[in-house]
Amino acid sequence: MTGGDWLAGWRFARRLKRLANADGDARPLADYAKGAWPVRGSPAREAPFLALDFELDGLGTGAHVLQAGWLPFDAGGIPLAGAEARDIRSGKTLDDAAVTVHGIGEERARKGEPLAEVMPELLRALSGRIVIAHGASIERDVLLRTTRKLYGMALPVRSICTLAIERKLHPGLVGSEPYRLATARSRYNLPPHGQHDALGDALAAAELFLAQLSRLPADTSLGSLERLAVGH
Amino acid sequence: MTPIAGPCTLRPMASEIAEITAFLGGTPPFDTLPVGEVSALARVVTVSYARAGDVVLESGTMNDRLYVVRSGSVELRLAGEELTARLGAGSCFAYPSLLRGGEVRNTTIALEDTLLYSLPAEHFHRLRKDAPSFGAHFADDEAQRIRHALKQQKLGRMPELDRTSLEELVRRGDPVSCPPDATIRDAVRVMRDRDVSTLAICTTAGLVGIFTDKDLRNRVVAGETPLDQPVSAVMTEGPRTLSSHASVAEAMAMMAAGGFRHIPLLDSAGNLISILSATDILAFMGSNAIDAGMAIAKAPTPEAFVAASKQIDEGFAAMVGSGFHAIHAMRFTSALGEAAHRRAAELAEAELGPPPVPYALVVFGSLAREEQLVGSDQDNGLVLSDEIDADGRAYFERLGGRISDLLNDAGFVYCKGGIMAKEAGQRLTLGDWQRRYEHWIDSPTEDAVLRATIFFDMRCVHGSQSLVRELRRAVIGKVAASPLFISYLARDALRSKVPLGIFRNLVLEKSDDGHKVFDAKAQAIMPVIDVARTLALAHGIEAVGTVERLRALAEGGKMAKGDSQSLEDAFLFVNELRIAHQAVQVKAGDRPDNAIEPASLSPLERDYLKDAFSVIRNALDSLRRNQAGGIA
Repeated sequence: MTGGDWLAGWRFARRLKRLANADGDARPLADYAKGAWPVRGSPAREAPFLALDFELDGLGTGAHVLQAGWLPFDAGGIPLAGAEARDIRSGKTLDDAAVTVHGIGEERARKGEPLAEVMPELLRALSGRIVIAHGASIERDVLLRTTRKLYGMALPVRSICTLAIERKLHPGLVGSEPYRLATARSRYNLPPHGQHDALGDALAAAELFLAQLSRLPADTSLGSLERLAVGH
Repeated sequence: MTPIAGPCTLRPMASEIAEITAFLGGTPPFDTLPVGEVSALARVVTVSYARAGDVVLESGTMNDRLYVVRSGSVELRLAGEELTARLGAGSCFAYPSLLRGGEVRNTTIALEDTLLYSLPAEHFHRLRKDAPSFGAHFADDEAQRIRHALKQQKLGRMPELDRTSLEELVRRGDPVSCPPDATIRDAVRVMRDRDVSTLAICTTAGLVGIFTDKDLRNRVVAGETPLDQPVSAVMTEGPRTLSSHASVAEAMAMMAAGGFRHIPLLDSAGNLISILSATDILAFMGSNAIDAGMAIAKAPTPEAFVAASKQIDEGFAAMVGSGFHAIHAMRFTSALGEAAHRRAAELAEAELGPPPVPYALVVFGSLAREEQLVGSDQDNGLVLSDEIDADGRAYFERLGGRISDLLNDAGFVYCKGGIMAKEAGQRLTLGDWQRRYEHWIDSPTEDAVLRATIFFDMRCVHGSQSLVRELRRAVIGKVAASPLFISYLARDALRSKVPLGIFRNLVLEKSDDGHKVFDAKAQAIMPVIDVARTLALAHGIEAVGTVERLRALAEGGKMAKGDSQSLEDAFLFVNELRIAHQAVQVKAGDRPDNAIEPASLSPLERDYLKDAFSVIRNALDSLRRNQAGGIA
């Protein structure tokens, strides 16, 4: 384990510890903290992951979550039995552009579940797992923001960004287009994914991650991939 | 979680992955399952990824999942060795192991980067029991897989299939299409008006589906879909496509694996340029022999007849290109030649009215021996009933002329030697034919025999078989009793120069352009034909084909079995070379000839060729000793 891994691991453990005694409404945080967390020096191919995607009504920090989709998986495969997709209830008037992109109408968004009900379920799924997302900083930010709002404490999150891995595996491509999820997938002969819903995107990122893993040395450590995501 | 109050909680398709449901729903045999079942299955799928070259399943291990290729392709190797099948997107594999309790016999390797869906065995077994269509698919597929494997083995012998791009098979141009919101009624009208069996369904953005005659049958008529429904409701959505640069082999593999018969072809810009059908491939492979024969045999007009006959050359080149053996290519060409002669006679009769007396159209030479290659001129004649009168002769003059003209137009050009029904000397009564043969046989001269040998290979292709049978019987009986004539035949055979030096070097003449060539027909094929004919006639054998004659000679104890077999092999080998040579010429649009440059052969072929020449020379030596009276 490199020094950076050790430090980051220690920091994460300390922050989990702070959650251990959370109770009342914040009880889900304590459950999250109790998970069996993989050490950063262990091979990425042995680690448990959770592909996660949020559909938002905008890009700003005030954007509302419209939909959450997640899938637990590991290097061996993505069992869809664990796939979950939730429409999140939002009373707000929706950003027109986002509605168009995600196809989630106001009607449907109003009938979704409150985030407060969905979050404990998500945290149970995420406990002990590393978030996988394409542009993972968005999912990290949303998790931090929403947990702070719901529980008064920001969630410590471990994540790997498939976009960051793609930049490492295929450096120097011009512009952002070559690194978009669909373009990156095509490099690995993955089929086009038409869907723009949270679960579809989460699956697309999970498949991309499996493809990327197949290109990385077998002993690639979890920490080395998590580090790539940091700063993104 | 507490349910949300209200009549409609609407967690619509909460955790469904539309992508996977849509894929399974469009993939056999899952496409036969109820929609609810497919959605349920989608939830138990596990997605995995294999990099090109990765082993997905290893022979000898245990497996408890049914696999479906989502994208990419895999190869199944029996016990890791022999290639058994290549499977592309939409193909299931690993079910044989589930059927026998888990033991894996085929090592499965990813040929490309491949995304796989897999389902737990319990669902496979449950569906096989509960859904007959699902179970039947896997029963059928066992046999299909074996057929596929055989096809793959054949592919190995047909390099042309790998080299020929689909572009060469299809006509480029705007495929007939209609928008997805057109009604079924309108779509079918377009198909009728444009006389197509497949319709491309396109939006301005491109191809979204195809609709075929079969869909019309299965989904519209049998499915009782109202005709005012949009065609999109019954089309095959998002069909698999191929680049027009892909090979014929790839298309065959895709069709075999996917169990469909149409593949839209896209150019490099992604535009639809044509829809390839299985028939296009069959036509390319020459399996259209029957179709071509039908087209000739049923040609309603002289124009249609000429057009259909022009397909013979192409069919020949395609057959040879796709690896058919010489003997089959000759049979194919001869069969079509025979069909053309018969149809020419029928069309002529239709124009001139029924024949006043029985007659037969006979062919001579290579067509009679069923050894015809492309580019042959016509060698034929009429055998007329002896009851004929002057009016009758006038009728057959017109008939013979018409037959020769039709054949000439169809590519069987006029015979320079005048051996054709157009010539009075080729329209004889049975009696006159008999007297002509008797003259040749009783008082042979070198010159007369040289020109007469072709007449001893004769076959009836139209009209009164019995007239010809009678003539043949009389001739064969007479020849066998005429050793002098046989010796002339033998000496005639010995005139050919086999180009083999004493030290097994090829002794060749220079062609017009200075290259050293040998004439495959004159220097190898004709000597074998002559040897077989001479010996067959000497022994009263009625067979006409060279191989049949050689076999009959061996069976009758008139030739050593080994010699007969060697001669047959030499004959077929040189014909293979000659046919391959001509196929290249036909494909290049050149007139086929028989001048082969040994430099164009591989060292192995040159070696075989020398063997063939020495076999032929031995046969000629033996003929000289036994039939030519030791002379020449």
